[in-house]
Amino acid sequence: MRRFRELVGVATAGLTARKVRTLLIMLGPILGVSAIVAAIGINESSKGHLKAKLQELGTDLIVVNASAGFGFGQDPVIEAAAVSRVGRLPDVVAVTGTRQLSDIVTVPFTGAEDYYRAFPVPVIATGPELPDTLEVPMVSGRFLNAFDEESGARVAVIGRDLADEYGYLAGESRTIELNGLEYGVVGVLDWVLLEPSMDSAVFLTFAAAVADWELDDPDPSRLYVRAPTNTAMVAKEIPTVVSLGGPDGANASVPTDLLDAQSQVDESLNNLTKMMGGLALIVGGVGIANVMSISVIQRSSEIGIRRALGHSRGTIAVQFLFEALVVGVFGGILGALVGAGVVWGVAAQRGYTMVLSVAGLAGWALVSVGVAVVAGLYPSSKAARLEPLETLRLG
Amino acid sequence: MKVSPPREKGADDVVLALDGVSRVYGTEVEVRALDDVSLDIRAGEFLSIVGPSGSGKSTMLGLLGVLDLPTEGAIRVRGTDVTRLADAERSRLRGEAIGFVFQQFHLIPHLTALGNVETALLYRGLTPRERRTRAMSALEQVGLGERHDHRPVQMSGGEQQRVAIARAISTDPGVVLADEPTGALDSSNAENVMQIFADLQSPERAICIVTHDMHVADATRRRISMLDGRIVADEALNGGSGMGVDS
Repeated sequence: MRRFRELVGVATAGLTARKVRTLLIMLGPILGVSAIVAAIGINESSKGHLKAKLQELGTDLIVVNASAGFGFGQDPVIEAAAVSRVGRLPDVVAVTGTRQLSDIVTVPFTGAEDYYRAFPVPVIATGPELPDTLEVPMVSGRFLNAFDEESGARVAVIGRDLADEYGYLAGESRTIELNGLEYGVVGVLDWVLLEPSMDSAVFLTFAAAVADWELDDPDPSRLYVRAPTNTAMVAKEIPTVVSLGGPDGANASVPTDLLDAQSQVDESLNNLTKMMGGLALIVGGVGIANVMSISVIQRSSEIGIRRALGHSRGTIAVQFLFEALVVGVFGGILGALVGAGVVWGVAAQRGYTMVLSVAGLAGWALVSVGVAVVAGLYPSSKAARLEPLETLRLG
Repeated sequence: MKVSPPREKGADDVVLALDGVSRVYGTEVEVRALDDVSLDIRAGEFLSIVGPSGSGKSTMLGLLGVLDLPTEGAIRVRGTDVTRLADAERSRLRGEAIGFVFQQFHLIPHLTALGNVETALLYRGLTPRERRTRAMSALEQVGLGERHDHRPVQMSGGEQQRVAIARAISTDPGVVLADEPTGALDSSNAENVMQIFADLQSPERAICIVTHDMHVADATRRRISMLDGRIVADEALNGGSGMGVDS
């Protein structure tokens, strides 16, 4: 142990005596390790952003779309009976149907008619539970309620973007014109991350839709189903539950699955990054071997005198190997810190959630130590082979 | 040629011995730098090895210092034939038994005076405190205790050589081998260094100076003259005991 400390002392004295050179040979491992750590960290952090979003959205919402059976000329719908069947499934906690109405021109104020005829605002008939099912809060006011549903009152809720577009002020009494019919705006729904089209939509009750818009029956064409447990299984059985083997089909999907797939870290990109970083480390290792070999020649007199003072070949070899080791250790640690700093900076700038594995940092620092030691083998053995008599120039 | 011991002494007295040693350089063209030389160095001796360049004295120094191995013959350090030892053992024995002083001082430039002396005391199982104490006392012996934290570049040649001497004696070796120790110094520094060598003499320690400078050789008590790889004279000086003149 004492010998080990003495060797470390001699090695660090040798390195600190030539600070610039030491720094230069340390640059190899620093650059290599920091490049790998930064690239992997940024890659994973960008995905971490998606993962955080996924967390926010929840992965238990199922979207069910009615699909065409054998009927012609009519949009496919899901019958009310089927909706209640879905609602009775054991894992389902909330179901809300929606149906988009067509051919309605929504005008916030007279004079904007041409624009909104060209770019129609979606008008959606839905039930009072929609905010609960989607887990989206209201920005202001209230959502459609049971009274609206029973009375068929002309009330509407608008999406947050539409409210901004209209210049809607919270609590303001305002109407919105749907094909000339005035609807009272009672509330603004916050952004729906999973259905961005809802952000600029107008929501009505099915009762109003049937009364005003020639809807035959209050059947939805799409269902939003919240199933916190066994989500995938529920999504799989919903089409059967809806059709019961009949012609009216339905497709169920979990929209966050796609996001989930996107959030998976790109392994091939990571591997490529690791290869590039590994290459940088190897180049750094060659640099260490190179500079240390020259250093051995320059320090031949020191090596000679150490041999004369009784240090064996083995001790000289270990001394130089320790210098390489110290370079590897400090280069690795510094590289990991620099890499982590870069990841932190990029994450802060782009609003990512920083994802960095401590084990990974330690691992790459260790790789740098390994590379440095291997690189130190040649110069060390060269130092050990030096003949003291030749370097001391006697007589 | 065998130089007979000057007087009967116990074998333990011999700290360093060459026994029928030859050293041949080159393979195609053989150069016999040392030719069947035998020499005993005993504790307490103050001797010099002199000769013109090419006489083989540097080769002899390398062999005496166990920095080189002979082509033929044996080198005995305290009775052990080092030619039969592995490098690690041989290095250990060299570190324990022999101290070196070189013409070019050969101090390690990035270490202080104390650090240079301590280098000789590494890997001997000493605590840092013991190492430091021994190095300091060696520096004080050569009158440089005050300057222990100076680096070689901050010192004069004479001072550097005194640091080198402190390094050589810090391990308390049986023999100090000095290679032209005054060769790089002016006359007053040279005198000072020779005085230190004279003071370092003790019944337990031999001092052997290799030089071509007759003034230096004349200050010692036994003078061995070399020519063409052979010892041509072994004389006592200043009331010394080295004898067995033979040429």
